[in-house]
Amino acid sequence: MIDFTFTEEQEMFRKAAREFAETKIAPRVAEMEETGEVSDAVVKAMGEAEMMAITIPEEYGGLGLGYTERLIAIEEVSRVSVAAAMMLQVFALGIEPIVKFGSEDLKKKYLPGLATGERLSTTAVTEATGGSDPSGIRSSYKKDGDDFILNGRKCFITNSHIADTVTVLAKDEDDPKAFCAFVLDKDMAGWKATHKEHKFGMRGCNTGELAFENCRIPASQMLGEEGKGLRVTMSAIGDVGRGGMVGVALGLQAACLEESIKFANERILYGKPIAALQTIQNKLADMKIDLEAGRLLGYRAAAMQDKGLRSSNEFAVAKYYTTEACQRAAKMAVDIHGGYGCMEEYAVSRYLRDAYVVGPSAGTSDIMKVIIGRWALS
Amino acid sequence: MRSQNRIHIMLNIVVCVKAVPDPKEACNIKIDPATKTLLRCDVPMVVNPLDKNAMEVALQLKEKTDVRITVLSMGPPEAGNIVKEGLALGADRGILLSDPAFGGADTFATAFTLAKGIEKIGHHDVILCGMASSDGSTEWVGPQIATFLKLPVVTMVKEIVKTDVPWWKVKASIDNGYRLMQVKLPAVFTVTREVNTPRTLSFSGIIKARKKEIEQWGIDDLGVSSESVGLKGSPTIVSQLKTTEGKREVEFIKGTRAEKAEFLVQKLIGTGLL
Amino acid sequence: MMAEQKNKVGPVWVIAEQIDCRLLSVSTQLIGQARKLADELNTSVEAVLLGDGIEGQIQELIAAGAKRVYLGNAPELAFYHPERYTEIIVNLAEGHKPEIILIGSTAMGRELAPQMAARLKTGLTAHCIDLVLDEDKNLEQHIPAYGGLLSIVCPKRRPQMATVASGVFTTPEPDETRTGEVIELLLPDIVYDRIETLQVVREEPKGVPLESADIVVAGGAGAGDLEGWHKIADLANCLNGALGATRPAVDEGWTELTTMIGQSGKMVSPQLYIGVGLSGEQQHLVGVVDAKVMVAINIDNRSPVFEQVDYGIVDDCREFLPVLIEKIKAYQERLVTC
Repeated sequence: MIDFTFTEEQEMFRKAAREFAETKIAPRVAEMEETGEVSDAVVKAMGEAEMMAITIPEEYGGLGLGYTERLIAIEEVSRVSVAAAMMLQVFALGIEPIVKFGSEDLKKKYLPGLATGERLSTTAVTEATGGSDPSGIRSSYKKDGDDFILNGRKCFITNSHIADTVTVLAKDEDDPKAFCAFVLDKDMAGWKATHKEHKFGMRGCNTGELAFENCRIPASQMLGEEGKGLRVTMSAIGDVGRGGMVGVALGLQAACLEESIKFANERILYGKPIAALQTIQNKLADMKIDLEAGRLLGYRAAAMQDKGLRSSNEFAVAKYYTTEACQRAAKMAVDIHGGYGCMEEYAVSRYLRDAYVVGPSAGTSDIMKVIIGRWALS
Repeated sequence: MRSQNRIHIMLNIVVCVKAVPDPKEACNIKIDPATKTLLRCDVPMVVNPLDKNAMEVALQLKEKTDVRITVLSMGPPEAGNIVKEGLALGADRGILLSDPAFGGADTFATAFTLAKGIEKIGHHDVILCGMASSDGSTEWVGPQIATFLKLPVVTMVKEIVKTDVPWWKVKASIDNGYRLMQVKLPAVFTVTREVNTPRTLSFSGIIKARKKEIEQWGIDDLGVSSESVGLKGSPTIVSQLKTTEGKREVEFIKGTRAEKAEFLVQKLIGTGLL
Repeated sequence: MMAEQKNKVGPVWVIAEQIDCRLLSVSTQLIGQARKLADELNTSVEAVLLGDGIEGQIQELIAAGAKRVYLGNAPELAFYHPERYTEIIVNLAEGHKPEIILIGSTAMGRELAPQMAARLKTGLTAHCIDLVLDEDKNLEQHIPAYGGLLSIVCPKRRPQMATVASGVFTTPEPDETRTGEVIELLLPDIVYDRIETLQVVREEPKGVPLESADIVVAGGAGAGDLEGWHKIADLANCLNGALGATRPAVDEGWTELTTMIGQSGKMVSPQLYIGVGLSGEQQHLVGVVDAKVMVAINIDNRSPVFEQVDYGIVDDCREFLPVLIEKIKAYQERLVTC
């Protein structure tokens, strides 16, 4: 039989992640909701709990664990706070290109700090002219001796204002088919975070713009081969980004179901809890089905990734399914709560707003369908 | 030239932990009238909350001095994962006392078995337990282990004041206050929730625990007779289970919120108690 | 002439406790219950008391029903010492072979009793809420368990031991006409140097003491959070009652362990008991030994607590309590102004 169970150790990782989320993140959720700002306490606690170190190899100060363990951690964090989970998942988007394509020097320079949370990272690919289609980006570089000069702007970048280590994708000024990925850090002049977005959901996760103006980057900061930068960022966003969204969505789905069950058992109408009503049971069943299916899709893709197999298509399916499912789950959760679902003191009202921001993150559902359609046709 | 002899003191600590049904889901637990035992109904087993406080005492000491922690538990093979948790938190050695013969033990037999386990572990300076378990709450196991091992015991420790070797100073709760005790090691201490805030599991701790093995000891390993452990070794047995009947018949006060409050106040005035 | 000789059963012992030369009420309560057991067993009640300058307590023990008092009266016994007390009482028990030993569930009792039971290789039941004899004249020790009542017996070993909290049994009327004998114990000349009490600090309990309160308001997990808990405390305050709690409320950190009412907590017998946001778990309600009127406020109309009370209100306590408190205060104001 195919083994669909987690190992004893993975169950312990889940327990540790859950305990962390419930004791260190849960108390900060209200403050994040109100201010919309990243909680420094949460970032610090994440660093101490080694959450950023999960996918960093041991020789650079990381835990050397796999994508399954990463998915478990993000799922558990998201169950408590979607915003915190999104921030965490995007840290890995900045880490992955360095691990996979960075020179030994770059790895030694950045990975230890990234593992402890002293350094915070992100990936900057999306621009006004291209997000889901990265070849449409306009940020460009030109060579100047041993350096590269970078100009351009990036938008909708998660962790824009808190990251000090950024993987940037830019295209060759003279050759539209050549791209380069660079690691920027705060020691370099010429780049900064500019406009901060105010989102209606996922509050406590920072989204904003980055601007590069004649930013001088030493060639040693390049990731992968010159001209082949697209490959670098695609593999990061493709699998790691989508995989992270799966975790965020699954955690949210689980939270919606738990809150709905709790409310349905407590709310008494016609002398019985509403959980006894078939129409409510239908909704709970739908949420349950989506959660079971989403978990199977997500963990299957993560297992393939752990084995080193190509998993972008499987992650596209899982990302599409779970991010759509969490939006359905949130609406059903609010419906089950009736009027209470509209009140801010009830968590489900936040879940609804969070779910609709989860949807387009790391690629819209429509783009996922295009990818999956291509896969079907291939 | 005189060389300074440094006396190397390593403290051996045994932490006794028990697997109990998750107290947060305790309302789902019922008694099986036929066997008079607990029907667990999928309520997950977790580490007894107060035992986590006991483990935390040991772990905090380990951060300061040379300490070797052994986590010990008596239970069915499934209880192995709470021993694993102890290892993941930082214990050096994990031992599970498990054998069908140990089943059905009351506190006397449990304490006897644990004491035998501790004897087999060998050198022990400090034995720590939670004051009581959330599913039995007798508070007997710690003091009885002390009696079997002929050691002094302090129960309800709420603060550890000094941990010199061999003298420890601790504050133990009494009704309305505390007593400050000075105890010579080796000794047994049972702790309350006030003593510290237990740390949560860490990922790197779980990874380090990969190298640590759980040893499982049965009745032959302890060298005890089957008459002295488990149900056979238990002086007390459960003879009966009764369900309690309510002696009162409730009158529900109905109406709007304001009406319910008003009627209740009226009822209370009527009984002369307001 | 050979009369049928029944096997003479050993006495029923109560290990009494004094603090600062004042006898704890649990001791006389246990003697009262011991007398009932002893009468059925055709034996007598004996008390053991250790302390310093405690001659004054002897009469109290005898008036409660002890036929004999073993007295350990010496400076080194002024305060409970685990090794000294255990050694003296265990030796005494080994010599005199009591049938039953009862001890109060006090801080001392909860440490002394298990050590004694382990030394005497016998059974011990914690926090009993009733003690009766079964048809074989074994001591049936009743404790509450998940949804029911368990009877524990120790059929093969003697003495049978049990601890009982203060307030479970009523304090017997003292009968000053009773007489009894006093046996002064010879204390062993042993040096106990492994454990020493350096200091005893007593703190005044806050608020109305639960054990003697006429009105008790008890809160449980239904309070939801600290804010909800404060509303329950407000209700207790406006009624001039004592605030009690269930174990979940204590575990949440909203209130101290000393306010916990239940099998391993305090026993109360108020005139009025109001249970707010609690499910009426056995472990808690056995702590309400008796109450004239019992009221429950709970959001769930199926909650088992409603099977145990006289009046029930189905509502969210966090919303209901402010309204109730307002009405009570309005009534109290009217009382003052009339």
